[in-house]
Amino acid sequence: MKIYIKYSMVMLLLLSAFSCKKPTENIKLVVDTDILKYTAFIRVTDAATGTIPANAKITISGAAADNIYELSGKKNFNLVQGVVTIGLGPALTPTAANPVSCTATITATGYTTVTKTITFTADKSQQVINIQIAKAGSNTPPIVVPDPPVYPTPVVLTFTGTCSNRRDFEIRPSVYIMFRETGSNLPYQYLGYMDKGVITTTALGQGKTYDVQTTFNGEDHKVTQKIELPSYSLTLDMGNACNNF
Amino acid sequence: MYKFLFLASLFTVLVINCVKAQTNPSDQLILHQKSVKLNLGSQGIGGEFTYGIDKKVALRLGLNVIPVNVNDAFDFADFNSTSKASAKFTNIHLLADYTPFKSASAFRLVGGVAYFVRARGTMQVQPSDNYSYGDIVLTPDQVGYLNLDVDWKGIAPYAGIGLFKVIPKRRFNVNVDLGTYYLKQPDVKIVGTGILKGNNKQEGQLHENVKDYRWLPVIQLNFSYKL
Repeated sequence: MKIYIKYSMVMLLLLSAFSCKKPTENIKLVVDTDILKYTAFIRVTDAATGTIPANAKITISGAAADNIYELSGKKNFNLVQGVVTIGLGPALTPTAANPVSCTATITATGYTTVTKTITFTADKSQQVINIQIAKAGSNTPPIVVPDPPVYPTPVVLTFTGTCSNRRDFEIRPSVYIMFRETGSNLPYQYLGYMDKGVITTTALGQGKTYDVQTTFNGEDHKVTQKIELPSYSLTLDMGNACNNF
Repeated sequence: MYKFLFLASLFTVLVINCVKAQTNPSDQLILHQKSVKLNLGSQGIGGEFTYGIDKKVALRLGLNVIPVNVNDAFDFADFNSTSKASAKFTNIHLLADYTPFKSASAFRLVGGVAYFVRARGTMQVQPSDNYSYGDIVLTPDQVGYLNLDVDWKGIAPYAGIGLFKVIPKRRFNVNVDLGTYYLKQPDVKIVGTGILKGNNKQEGQLHENVKDYRWLPVIQLNFSYKL
């Protein structure tokens, strides 16, 4: 083996004698974030107004709680802009016979506490859980948020997560995406699930400009894009998510 | 570069003069002579059959094999990893040895062509640390690995010089080949597993990096036995 190593080093030197570039030069390591295969996107809103309640908190309990993580793989469950994504760690996989459940408890000052059972099943990798909380003593009926419009031309958004502190590193984020028309000041609406950096949607209209947002590891990440083409390649600074690997 | 060319020219002149001093004109007659060779050198190990088709020209038909492995030859700047690289080359070649100078029969010009049945460089990169994702410690299977394949399989021309007689004067001799193959532009492929699956999009960059890796130099000793 030693002979082989010495011999191969000579050969590699010879082979590269007339070449300039190192084979791995400018090659970025691309990493996927879909470690949690079964996830739930939890969105908490004020039942009466549809706005984000201030100081809302979430706790996760139940038999499976030890294997429930925030999308970043951490045990910190913080609502950012009223949303958080939780999921099952790789050690626990639901089956048809044995779905996995946990309980999400939402508390906020001045609001009635709400608990919600979230069940992960084998046939559903992603799910959206809308939780409306009402002010204590309020009898106002819950607001019904209309679905976003559907446009005839689908738009494909491809996101590449970049890391300013790790130049040879790229992330293909698998995250839930929210959006709203730029300048509308309306609450963000759910756009869809981005699988390995790609999302296709009919909710974005041509000629309109949108704020696109996702939440990961307690941070929200935003990109603004005017839609004029059927597809866009966008970069997303992944912030402290880069330190997650 | 000029220094290299000067030194190479000087070396060639010295070798020719040295060879001239050893030459006997009767040694030039290689017509219809035959020998077999064992090759050892940068082309690995191999064998050849040589036949003189003219007073100055001999043809060599042979096969060479390189099985090489090397660890940690390459790295990524922001990824603590170990790498295993291997190069596996097998060629069948037909070379012509031309002895241009009557007075220096041991100096030869060599040209020909080889078909590389196999010419593949493979690098496998695996994380060297216990990688974690947030609070989750990932198993090696969950992290996965990267395979980078570079393949030069195909036809390659050869040019070089030979030192000392292509067919021994008596039973045995040792001669030397210095030259290079010019390989075709390589095909590249990247396969990732686990969370590294998305790396096939780097194939274009890898191709850009290795597209000029086409010169495969030959430094080889040939142990000849005259039939």
